[in-house]
Amino acid sequence: MNIQRRDAMKMLLAISASGALAACGDQSKTDTKQDGEDPLLKYAEAGKFLSMQEMAFLTAMAATIIPRTDTPGAVEAGIPQTIQDLLSTWGDDTVRQYWRSGLQSVQAGLKGADGSNDFATLAANAREAVLAKFDAGVYANTIENDFYKDFKSTIGSAYYMSETGATEELIYDPVPGDFKGCIPFSDVGKAWAT
Amino acid sequence: MSFDFDAIVVGSGMSGGWVAKELCERGLKVAVIERGRNTDPTEDYKDHVDPWDTPNMGKKTPEDLKKHPIQSEVYAFNQNTKQFWVDDNDHPYITPEDQDYKWRRGYHKGGRSIMWGRQSYRMSEIDFEANKKDNIGVDWPVRYDDIKPWYDHVERFAGISGSMEGLDILPDGVFQPPFEFTCAEEVFKEKVEEKFPGRKVIPGRAAHLTAPTQEQMDLGRGKCQSRALCERGCSFGAYFSSVSATLPAAERTGNMTLIADTAVQKLDYNSETGKISGVQTVNTKTKEKKTLSARTVFLNAGTIPTTMILLNSANEHFPNGLANSSGHLGKNLMDHVACGRGWGIMPGMMDKYHKGRRPNGFYIPRFRNHTEVGEGFIRGYGYQGRIYRNSGWSINNPGIGSSYKKANRTPNPWALSLIAFAEILPDERNQITLHPSKTDQWGFPVPVIDAKMRENEVNLIKQATRDTIAMMDAAGIVMPDADDPEDPHINAPGNGIHEMGTARMGHDSADSVLNKFNQSWDIPNLFVTDGSFMTSGGCQNPSLTYMAFSARAADHAVKLMKENKI
Repeated sequence: MNIQRRDAMKMLLAISASGALAACGDQSKTDTKQDGEDPLLKYAEAGKFLSMQEMAFLTAMAATIIPRTDTPGAVEAGIPQTIQDLLSTWGDDTVRQYWRSGLQSVQAGLKGADGSNDFATLAANAREAVLAKFDAGVYANTIENDFYKDFKSTIGSAYYMSETGATEELIYDPVPGDFKGCIPFSDVGKAWAT
Repeated sequence: MSFDFDAIVVGSGMSGGWVAKELCERGLKVAVIERGRNTDPTEDYKDHVDPWDTPNMGKKTPEDLKKHPIQSEVYAFNQNTKQFWVDDNDHPYITPEDQDYKWRRGYHKGGRSIMWGRQSYRMSEIDFEANKKDNIGVDWPVRYDDIKPWYDHVERFAGISGSMEGLDILPDGVFQPPFEFTCAEEVFKEKVEEKFPGRKVIPGRAAHLTAPTQEQMDLGRGKCQSRALCERGCSFGAYFSSVSATLPAAERTGNMTLIADTAVQKLDYNSETGKISGVQTVNTKTKEKKTLSARTVFLNAGTIPTTMILLNSANEHFPNGLANSSGHLGKNLMDHVACGRGWGIMPGMMDKYHKGRRPNGFYIPRFRNHTEVGEGFIRGYGYQGRIYRNSGWSINNPGIGSSYKKANRTPNPWALSLIAFAEILPDERNQITLHPSKTDQWGFPVPVIDAKMRENEVNLIKQATRDTIAMMDAAGIVMPDADDPEDPHINAPGNGIHEMGTARMGHDSADSVLNKFNQSWDIPNLFVTDGSFMTSGGCQNPSLTYMAFSARAADHAVKLMKENKI
């Protein structure tokens, strides 16, 4: 079952009465040592897994995927720090290895033909052009990068779950009151955050 | 003879709460013994936590997987609900090699009535007659008319939202107004009912207050706010749980004593009186042992634990388990199998949306072997589903930048999810026993759970999957995806979280454990009203039936006590 289907089924089951769903793929190794020999596992400093360079790349990516428009973007919503916190305090070696090597693979994939450009230092419009091409290639399966979709999805989750994303970009209705099953979309105008 | 209490109720969940309420309201001094902690809504309920304050962006931690390898698979396990699921390491069980059983549970005041799915359906005369007609298991010793007033009674108090439909397969009840359908569900209903005149698509019947009564408000319960955070616990008390409804009702009588952190290990049998004389307990924290006495004892520990307690209470008079002269204790373990899953998009209506998060869906009552034939199987299945527009962003969407962000402001198209809940037949081979030597840290023998899906279940699931596909087709669902009818998804038993049947009621002490009032044939002051009494399971979610039989049994027990018969 793919992730979208799995989520849809989880949501259905949450309103029904049964747990038909095995959490396939959620198992992972549970070692949590923080200072492995493996460079893929090394914390940049105590309590911070990602280095300044990695944070710079992550920030550039977050700003390019979800930029500031008429509402704050992912950087304004603090998403790079959210991801830093997540990777530093949550998960295990498998997760950290996956993220660090994944970030490296995306970074490598975004370099120009001459291998010279550093995504984080490009101008915003240049970043957008480079990443748009890469994104299109991944979704068209002409570029192979297993990590990228997960990465983009995590940025998206973090943004739309953030207070800024939920309440400014989307609409957050913590206590809706009556459920209305069929109203004009124009009465709401955009997607509910939850 | 003097007793510590008039009655002891073992377990404070779905059924135990009801027994406590009914006994206390009839003037009995009642001890409710709960093996878990004393739930405190202000501490334990996480329904006030906003998405951005949810730890780890809602992701499970490695510790979660270590502590809850079984429970963390449940749809309702997340960072805001994990406090309600047991630590699997503390509560081991064994399954035969090459066989699985998924025992999903929580030990705390309120039990699974806090995390339950809230779907509430009556069993019908068709269900109560089924075993007799099919010559399966034993005949139910009750018929619909016996239990109907008790369904009325528990629905009125619990608060069930639903619609009057006049269906013999799924009797109407005492309902508060149903939740609305979404626009797309209206279309689905119309098209499915048009193509299949024997099928009905109706609002789910769920234990949510949509128009609370004075009685409910007096207990501090309020109207459902459509947040759909139910499994975190509801600070509004808007869905039924022991903690929101029955235990407060018992408490206000002044007759209830709740004893938390205390597990029942054995029942003492007095061979002179032929009755239970005491309940042996162990404090789960200090391991201190204590025996409590009462004139009457109700087991409501949950089907598997109740069975374990009785098996563990074997003595010279009942060498195969207390109250088990029939030999049926522990046998006939049932569940429901959730299967025949389908997904797809209902095209159109992009100018329409929904407001609020309905904690419920639609329901399609059973039609196989009823309004339509069933080939290769007896019984049937009902469906739960919904059609919703989920938020717009997804890992599957290409794009970046302002256009991506803008696209994510638009919710996705109307998406259907559909799943069948099929009946599992009582079968003596599906059983619970106690391991001869292994014990848990409190010295309680570890249960061995041996159950699997058999031919009738597999054939039900195959047909349910075909019907899922046919209904999606009839409704004009595009991009359909479903399980494969020839190689269907069959998950391990236990996943329905509807354990039932291991102390069934019947007409005869020779082939059943309980009589028609949930009273032990062998021991008159022993009653069992959790899911273990179920003679067959129907395909309906069973909690409402446990509630009705619990209230009825409590009423009966008090009458017997007043007549000095127990």
